[in-house]
Amino acid sequence: MRSRTPLPLWILAAIGVAFVSLPLLALLIRAPWSDLGTAFTGAGAGTALRLSIVVSLAATVLSMVLGVPLAWVLARSTMPGRSVLRAIVVLPIVMPPVVGGLGLLAALGRGGVVGRWLHETAGIQLTFTIWGAIVATTFVSMPLVVLATESGLRSIDRRYEGAAAALGAGPRYAIRRVVLPMLGPSLAAGAVLAWARALGEFGATITFAGNLAGRTQTLPLAVYEARLTDPGGAIFLSLILIAMSIGVLVAMRDRITQGH
Amino acid sequence: MRVFLAMVVVLPLLAACGGTSATTDETSELTVFAASSLTDVFTERIGPAFEAEHDGVRVVFNLGASDSLAAQIRSEGTADVFASASGTWMDAVADDPGITGRADFAQNRLVIVTPPGNPAGIAAIEDLSEPGVQLVLAAEGVPVGDYAREALANAGTLDGTLANVVSNEEDNASVLAKIAAGEADAGIVYESDVSAAAGSDVNAVEIGDDVNVIATYPIAVVSGAPSTELAAVFVAYVTGPDGQAALASYGFDPAT
Repeated sequence: MRSRTPLPLWILAAIGVAFVSLPLLALLIRAPWSDLGTAFTGAGAGTALRLSIVVSLAATVLSMVLGVPLAWVLARSTMPGRSVLRAIVVLPIVMPPVVGGLGLLAALGRGGVVGRWLHETAGIQLTFTIWGAIVATTFVSMPLVVLATESGLRSIDRRYEGAAAALGAGPRYAIRRVVLPMLGPSLAAGAVLAWARALGEFGATITFAGNLAGRTQTLPLAVYEARLTDPGGAIFLSLILIAMSIGVLVAMRDRITQGH
Repeated sequence: MRVFLAMVVVLPLLAACGGTSATTDETSELTVFAASSLTDVFTERIGPAFEAEHDGVRVVFNLGASDSLAAQIRSEGTADVFASASGTWMDAVADDPGITGRADFAQNRLVIVTPPGNPAGIAAIEDLSEPGVQLVLAAEGVPVGDYAREALANAGTLDGTLANVVSNEEDNASVLAKIAAGEADAGIVYESDVSAAAGSDVNAVEIGDDVNVIATYPIAVVSGAPSTELAAVFVAYVTGPDGQAALASYGFDPAT
């Protein structure tokens, strides 16, 4: 049965839509379209775009590799203090990214708690390298994978696994043939959210990995640097970033909603 | 439900009405946009001293790279006073929205900073081009970043040194933070950053007078600002004896 949507809801919803879409529209209006041909050469867009794709994909893979097992532990294990652990793990979602960047510097920087040791014994330096950008981006993206996967795991009826075991399936076989297929939509949702977040990452990256074209300057950093010297170029770079994000979200929309 | 929704719509409106009628003018606020290299002297000394001299005045600082500040003033126009690290960005604000009472109030020189212990053994500006040195500069367009490139060009080692740059930071304070954390081998910042009063945990290496660049800081009242009268008083304070003494103790040279 459909009920009529109350008018105040319509009004607030319309304000909500305008609020979100107006800045987008304004960028489209303010973009100096006549300079389109030259804009991309000046801002080093190609380099930043390539770097953004590499960094965001690497961060997504890393987030999945670490985040999915973590979600499993949070959802299925019975160890004490899980709620505290979950709070710590998802903290980067609500923490200002620049704080994350400072924390990463203190931990993994060349003079950091662990980073100093890495640098002195193995000669590994993360700051100012693409690895640093990937680490910073993974830091903010991984919690999204953990949350999506954990909620997916919790919604799966464990009796399916019981049935698989009763029919002679070992635990690994049951995970591979029963749990993972049912978990698919949640994994996809986590991956897409993580990737979209990774594409937009700015604060942790500039604080931890620095800003150098071709090495750590992803699209958001390029936008930030270009905004004063080349405002038109900054708008075009922003539009590329927005188009990519919309593309990701639209392309995966059906996969995400399938499971719910 | 309907009542709740009506409240959601109406309450903010009521709150907005209440807000305007409740506003009083007991304290006046002065908004000062200042280059990030002025952070310590303005927030620790000049701001508090000015507030102490003028009852009911609250000085609010917006600190950042002068280029960013100029862009904010041009688009939003909320500054009463602009203190810039370069004449270029003051010119931009003079052009739009306009300024009055412009005066140069301080000078600053460049200095090389390294982490304590100077791990890369930097002794002069030419050493910054040695292979393997990790150098952090402020980005182009940021005054201290442009001055640093000018000094490197004066030393004749610009190209080789730029190859060693590992990060173009957003402002002077970010360069200093990276060096204080020991992340890079060297950076170029203002001499005032390494003064005793600034209390920074870095090692300083002088840049010779023959290649060094002198940054001149202009200050002015921004036209159309909410409190131009108070702004003029603040500008007079900064250019006056008390302001100048504070600046000198933080490592700034007087404007010539």
